[in-house]
Amino acid sequence: MDELDFRPSPEISLGVELELQLLRAHDFDLSRGAADLLELLGKRKLPGAVKPEITESMVELNSSVHRQHASLRDELVVMRDAVVREAGVLNLSVAGGGSHPFHDWADRRIFPTGRFRAILERYGYLAKQFTVFGQHIHVGCPGGDDAVYLIHMLTRYVPHFIALSAASPFYQGEDTQFQSSRLTSINAFPLAGHMPFVRDWAEFREYYDKMRGFGIVASMKDFYWDIRPKPEYGTVEIRVCDTPLTVQRAALLGAYAQALVAYHLAQRPRAPARAVYLVNSFNRFEASRFGFRGDVIEPYESRRKKLGDDILETIETVMPQARSLDGADALAELAGDVRRGYSDAGWLRQCHAARGSLPDVVRESAARWSAHI
Amino acid sequence: MELSFLPQLPFALTAPIMFGALLAAGLLAGEAANRYASLPRITGYALAGVVLGPELSGLLSREVLQALSVLIDLSVGLIVFELGFRFDWNWLKRNRWLLVTAVAESVFGFGAIFGALTYFGFEPVLAAAAAAIGSATSPAVVMLVAHELRAEGQITERALLFTAVNSVFAFVALTLVLPFLHPDLHQGWQQALLRPPYILGGSLLAGAAACALMLALARWLGKREDRQFVLLVAIVVLTVGVVRSLNLSVMVALMTLGMLARNLDRRHVLMPLRFGYGGQLFFVILFVLTGAGLEFGAWATSARLVATLLAVRFLGKALAILVFGRLSGVRTSGAGLLAIALFPMSGLAVGMVRDASQLSPAFGSLLAGILLAALAFSELLGPLATQFALRRAGEAHPGAHGG
Repeated sequence: MDELDFRPSPEISLGVELELQLLRAHDFDLSRGAADLLELLGKRKLPGAVKPEITESMVELNSSVHRQHASLRDELVVMRDAVVREAGVLNLSVAGGGSHPFHDWADRRIFPTGRFRAILERYGYLAKQFTVFGQHIHVGCPGGDDAVYLIHMLTRYVPHFIALSAASPFYQGEDTQFQSSRLTSINAFPLAGHMPFVRDWAEFREYYDKMRGFGIVASMKDFYWDIRPKPEYGTVEIRVCDTPLTVQRAALLGAYAQALVAYHLAQRPRAPARAVYLVNSFNRFEASRFGFRGDVIEPYESRRKKLGDDILETIETVMPQARSLDGADALAELAGDVRRGYSDAGWLRQCHAARGSLPDVVRESAARWSAHI
Repeated sequence: MELSFLPQLPFALTAPIMFGALLAAGLLAGEAANRYASLPRITGYALAGVVLGPELSGLLSREVLQALSVLIDLSVGLIVFELGFRFDWNWLKRNRWLLVTAVAESVFGFGAIFGALTYFGFEPVLAAAAAAIGSATSPAVVMLVAHELRAEGQITERALLFTAVNSVFAFVALTLVLPFLHPDLHQGWQQALLRPPYILGGSLLAGAAACALMLALARWLGKREDRQFVLLVAIVVLTVGVVRSLNLSVMVALMTLGMLARNLDRRHVLMPLRFGYGGQLFFVILFVLTGAGLEFGAWATSARLVATLLAVRFLGKALAILVFGRLSGVRTSGAGLLAIALFPMSGLAVGMVRDASQLSPAFGSLLAGILLAALAFSELLGPLATQFALRRAGEAHPGAHGG
């Protein structure tokens, strides 16, 4: 069995990874507490896993595999509480959000493992600027061909996930005017972007073998795509989300992804189309910059519409599948947020306006993550 | 013909000339120590002081040092203020073993010195006074080495926290012992009894009042780092001045100011604190002047006692941290490093020794020299110990060219 053998998932399962910010209590700048925190957490029994990430200022929560978003949310709450408690022992705070509002990237220190050091060696300052915090959503699918199909389908919804999760308006001490500035850091990598327009898993293998043959990649991990297949888990992985400010919202986003997958697998409403990739970067930019208020081009009908409207229509379309997955409430909640224009990015901006400084924003956001407010 | 506009020679060494010259001397010595001997810059500053001071060249006489003591107080004031400002009650609430470890570290350090001195035949009261003075770690050394290395992590944070705790412990312990030092309680008992509450209570009050003033002004100023920085310096300098005039303790008052500012700022009106380059000026001067004031005399006569004192002090602190450290979330390897980081004795000992000697001639003749020699030793080697510990713990910033 090699890395590209797709291990089928019998049902439309759900799991998430959340990259979190570790903060110093005295000035709310990023800390370097990952190793100490992981050691403390290693002594506890947790439902999922907590892992190191590229710099010592971050850790990643990995959930286990779930069938519904509610059990995912409950598990994330347990994991969050454990991480917050152990971080407290070390006088560290923990927060969500896609970027740290004012850290200096040059201060970051690479987590000392071979892989992360190799990334620093190869990518130079990009590796340290990669201290941004994302949510990855895994949804199970029955086979490799389905994974390829789903990736072509889900690409159309990439702007949805960007806008719904957007939580990185501040970067390097400034308001970027973006709802999600985090994606800009990822765009800089040469292997960022999207999967090529392959038809099925066999063609994907061919492409992958070629890239390996060139020595451009060594494993699937080297692709920093918006959505990529994860054959060893039997999932497609959506990677464009900012880590939201709460675990509840992280679970809601999971429910939306799961419903979309269920809908497309059940109905197969469309065939893969190159047009999706023609408009992709325009739509993606609009979503990062303007959120729900951005314009997107609907690739199948070639018309322009508001991203917020597109999300609401899509939620309505996939609602039957959501219902069968016990995710109707979750989607209704997301729809409510779209209607009233709520985003985590907006919340952070309001916090800044009310409090007057970025350290305050980080403190409040950490309090919100820890469920203290 | 007399040219009245010409100055009389030699012209007077005024305060600005002294300040500038000491600053430059310290800076150059620090850089040289670092460049040619890989020593911490702080050691270089202190060495410059030793060379200029009364023990060697005598360019800085005891009278001049006395006159410049206000600069030491200002620098110490800024440092202990920052130390207090980083002292986080919430951390102690979340991690109870941390407070236990911190107190144990102070108590074991005290106990070790006390035990050693009584073993060598010193009177218990004198030994207790010396142990109180010796139990403190130098806020200046730990804070500055941490700054210079841009060190960050559990060992650094704990070293700072424990330093705050053992500095306060030392002061309170000494204040409680001092009345018993007085040889003739009948003659000056009012003075002996009233002095501790005056100093402790007065310093606490001064710190609290300064904190209330600072919070009120910061709220009015709003959240601008530049303005708040000026406010901070203004309040710290003002408090140091007032406290000196009232014969109170700069250390206690400024530590109180820092701690309260951090922990009573419920509306979060204060921005995080960064002294940056501005603080550096005071810190260079502090170490040059401390270096100049060092006394090595007792090394010649009682080297063994001084060395024993430093060794048992280290072992006492290390034992406490090894026993309780794990419970508070320090790795075992980290516990040893933390004890090493806390090695530097506090320069505040100078003032404390002076106070104790004034009250008790016996203390002055028997123990003052020994404590000052231990201080001199640790002032020169202490920065090296702290630097080694923070580096070894992996907490120094790789890009920091401290050293």
